[in-house]
Amino acid sequence: MNRPETILKAQDIHKSYGTLEVLKGISLEARKHDVISILGSSGSGKSTFLRCLNFLETPTSGKVTVHGEEVLVKNGKPQNARHIAEIRSRLGMVFQQFNLWTHRTVLENVMEGPIQVKRQTKAEARDKSEALLARVGLEDRMDMYPSQLSGGQQQRVAIARALAMEPDAILFDEPTSALDPELVGEVLKVMKSLAAEGRTMIVVTHEMGFAREVSSEVVFLHNGRIAEQGPPEEMFTNPKTEVFERFIAKVM
Amino acid sequence: MNPMDILLQYWPRLLDGTLMTIKLTLMGALIAGLISPFLALIRVQASPIAQAPLRLYVSFMRGTPIMAQLFLIFYGSGQFRPFLQEWGLWSFFRDPFNCALLTFALNSTAYQTEILRGGILGVPRGEVEAAMAIGMSRAHTLRRVVFPHAYRIAWPALGNEVILLMKASALASIVTVFDLMGRTRQVFSRSFDFSVYLWAALIYLGITAIFVLLWWQVEKRLSRHIAPHQTSRKPVKETQA
Repeated sequence: MNRPETILKAQDIHKSYGTLEVLKGISLEARKHDVISILGSSGSGKSTFLRCLNFLETPTSGKVTVHGEEVLVKNGKPQNARHIAEIRSRLGMVFQQFNLWTHRTVLENVMEGPIQVKRQTKAEARDKSEALLARVGLEDRMDMYPSQLSGGQQQRVAIARALAMEPDAILFDEPTSALDPELVGEVLKVMKSLAAEGRTMIVVTHEMGFAREVSSEVVFLHNGRIAEQGPPEEMFTNPKTEVFERFIAKVM
Repeated sequence: MNPMDILLQYWPRLLDGTLMTIKLTLMGALIAGLISPFLALIRVQASPIAQAPLRLYVSFMRGTPIMAQLFLIFYGSGQFRPFLQEWGLWSFFRDPFNCALLTFALNSTAYQTEILRGGILGVPRGEVEAAMAIGMSRAHTLRRVVFPHAYRIAWPALGNEVILLMKASALASIVTVFDLMGRTRQVFSRSFDFSVYLWAALIYLGITAIFVLLWWQVEKRLSRHIAPHQTSRKPVKETQA
């Protein structure tokens, strides 16, 4: 059987803030249709790693390859801005705090990327955005402003905004951590449906249920390194390292 | 003379002065408004050394009386007349209106730069990151996310600055510009009727009142994503995905 093509590859990512080394060489490969959950306790570097993948943080050193486009970083030098923008446009990002543009309506939030970055016509972007918003169950909220929506609704808009760019992969940075417990489900449901249709996703999360049931691979970070990595069922039923065993004992 | 008679007799002059005051203020504020976004960006992003000249300019403009600045430009330019003539700039500095406009524009640019800088610093970081993450260029991010927020935050303070500038523009009368203050002094020196100053004050008040009203309308529009639902922040109804 042919393995699916590699969408995103990170090689030996290091990140330091001054003398504090947060990431000590992390490599990760995401193939098409992969859903990779990144777990780890607070301070393990999981969000920082995710943000290095689309250069919201510049790694101190390492290499990120997105669909064959390669960015090599040495000594934390800033990169060619246009090249990085191009790579970012292929990676959707969903933030913990949603980060919707509060001065634009729901529909405008979703249309913004296709129009400004992908140079689609307004009509084209509108049709697609409306369909995406219907998909996440917000067709009746399109003309509202983000401040009029609940957290769960805002996060679903943020997912639609990422989808509108037709990304090769979507990065989720703790997408349910800022939500009231009763709103978590509606966001997870959308994420599950994305996984089911074969989207490539990398998810930093504390939702063990999601990691276990939905992801194809689980990566556990500890102190800036990958401590354990593998298929979820195997990892959760039979943890190989003591740190991961302690971690699941604490969170489950 | 009855105050009403003064107005009836001299209203064309006062109207002329009013228009001049409005022209001076709006042109000065507008020129400053066109330059200040760039300077504010430098203030926010450039290294301390690179922006040192800008900070010096801002402290000078904010730390010295606007009248001193006006005299410096109006009388000071006379000192350099041969030099300015050589550069073909004398015809500009010879006109007191130009000197006043230049002073007000320079002064207001300094204030607007600092006001806008505060606005830019108040833009939610996460929204800027969202723009970057979607692949927007720096220029796009500034135009579509940073400045819309920055202006909404800075808007009331910018309005204040324009009002202050409008009142400061009365200083133009001492370098012989016939703005509202200049016309008022002229009328007084002919009629020796003090009530003309009362009329001038009322006109200044009227200009300010109209301006505040217009500014507030724009503010409402800029804040439309916040204002109408402050009272009912609760979502209307949950929909299931």
